[in-house]
Amino acid sequence: MDRWFLLIATLLAAIGGTWGMISVHRGTRSHWTVAWMVAVMLCQLGFLSVRGQLRTACPLHDLGEMLVFLAWSLTLFYLLIGPAYRISLLGVFSAPLVFVLQSGALISGLFTVSPQRDPSPNLFHSLHSATSVLAYGALALAGVAGIMFLVLDRQLKVHRLKSGLFRNLPPAHQLLVSLERLLWLGSGLLTLGIVAGFLMPPTTPLHSHLIVAMAVWVGYAALLAVKTLRGLTGRKLALAAVAMFILSLVVFARV
Amino acid sequence: MELLCLGLNHRTAPVEVRERFAVSTPQLGAAASDLATLADATEGVVISTCNRTEFYLAASDARQALILLEARLTLRESLDAGAASHFYRKVKSEAAVHLCRVVSGLDSMMLGETEIFGQVKQAYQAALAAGTTGSVLNRLFQRAFGVGKKVRTETSIQEGSTSVGNVAVDLAEKIFGHLKDSEVMILGAGEMSRITAQSLVSRGARSIFVSNRSFDRAEALARDMGGQAVRFDEWQQALERVDVVISSTGAPHALIHRADVEKVRRARKFRPLFFIDIAVPRDIHPDVAEIEEVYLYDIDALEQLASEARTRRQLQIEHCERIIDAELAKLNLPGT
Repeated sequence: MDRWFLLIATLLAAIGGTWGMISVHRGTRSHWTVAWMVAVMLCQLGFLSVRGQLRTACPLHDLGEMLVFLAWSLTLFYLLIGPAYRISLLGVFSAPLVFVLQSGALISGLFTVSPQRDPSPNLFHSLHSATSVLAYGALALAGVAGIMFLVLDRQLKVHRLKSGLFRNLPPAHQLLVSLERLLWLGSGLLTLGIVAGFLMPPTTPLHSHLIVAMAVWVGYAALLAVKTLRGLTGRKLALAAVAMFILSLVVFARV
Repeated sequence: MELLCLGLNHRTAPVEVRERFAVSTPQLGAAASDLATLADATEGVVISTCNRTEFYLAASDARQALILLEARLTLRESLDAGAASHFYRKVKSEAAVHLCRVVSGLDSMMLGETEIFGQVKQAYQAALAAGTTGSVLNRLFQRAFGVGKKVRTETSIQEGSTSVGNVAVDLAEKIFGHLKDSEVMILGAGEMSRITAQSLVSRGARSIFVSNRSFDRAEALARDMGGQAVRFDEWQQALERVDVVISSTGAPHALIHRADVEKVRRARKFRPLFFIDIAVPRDIHPDVAEIEEVYLYDIDALEQLASEARTRRQLQIEHCERIIDAELAKLNLPGT
């Protein structure tokens, strides 16, 4: 059942993303992106709920579950931020990333077919996993907003303003504001995740992924400090958001 | 009943002729009532904008009514016989197609402009209130508004800005979003920069700084626009706070160099800066565009964008006309 939910969510993300891109290419706004992404999130919730019941704990025990949780988190933040800030195109850019993450989860080996019950569920362990992956969702969406800014910035710089994409992209300022807010939100959640990681039972060794997570946290904190105190060009902020998200995925390799 | 339209517009009559037939908005109802008193006529609507005046009538004999209407207008305005050449005459289905083209902006001086839709609606409402519309003109105008909406929704006839000023304003909105937090500086108190700055203010720009070699002119323009004058040797300080710079001085060489912008980047916290250079020779050195957060558009770039938009609109005409024909063919409008 869980696998079916995941398969349908992945297909919906692929169709929603492709539909949105075709609309953008034609120069029209994709009014259905939000609806597609709501459907994707419902299926993701179905998957996570089934896995949670099987585990009797937060379903973040294998890499497959983490990737789906990350995709859900990305979708959730898009649905919270995208329509509110009238940047529905963010969904068109987010859908491919959701598709990639979920396709990754479906790869054999990353996904435990018959999940075992967690013998000793721990609140701080669950809190650490959940807030950290939620943080990654916000940071992933910041990266998506960064890519959108870089595309718009390039088009404005070289005066290539005829494409449907240019007409549909939100203003550069709005993208940068959303990007910065997502960075703050992601960093805040990551802080919670790391604190919860240190509060896990003392028998648990200090995982190497926790060290990498701290390095990621320092990186984002430094980026926000520079942006706030000194200022940064939009291009540098966007590039940093994209690059740091890609680099921070190392954490998952260390799980 | 037969439908007819007699009119003159920017293509058929010079302004000195058009102004004689212009009807002010409050007088549109009275003008429609006057029109409906014409022998044979039962219904009438008068449309009057700065570029056109058109009389729509429903009469039992369209050709006869046209002759009577022309004679009345010529007599009233004491025009010579040659004045008739300024009029165009449309009867039956031609008149219906013409109204749909007018409402859709296809007959406007600026192809695809949207203001005409509201102006025609206002004229129709005035006639409706004056009681000079009936089954023929009511159905015609209602249909024309529907067709106008369809044309604008299904084609890109109104897309893109077709004037340099509007292109600049649209770009500013693409960079800064709402302009209510944006500050604008004008360098050189020329007419073009005044018009562009006014467009920015009308879209919400927060404040305007005007700098000119002649401080008196800067003060005068600043006063006109509710802005603040800046001495010409102090514009670099103002650069620290503004978001948009419109430059159109008569300087024979570049006035703003890369070093000038580099100097204020830190103080600006690297916020985006939009330069609109409408001066010839250019006021802003092209090197300035190499700075990451700077977007620089000179007069050629802006004109090219406006011209591309005009071309795109031209290419849409055929599509629009197909929609008009198809929509009118669906109905058997009375009077056509």
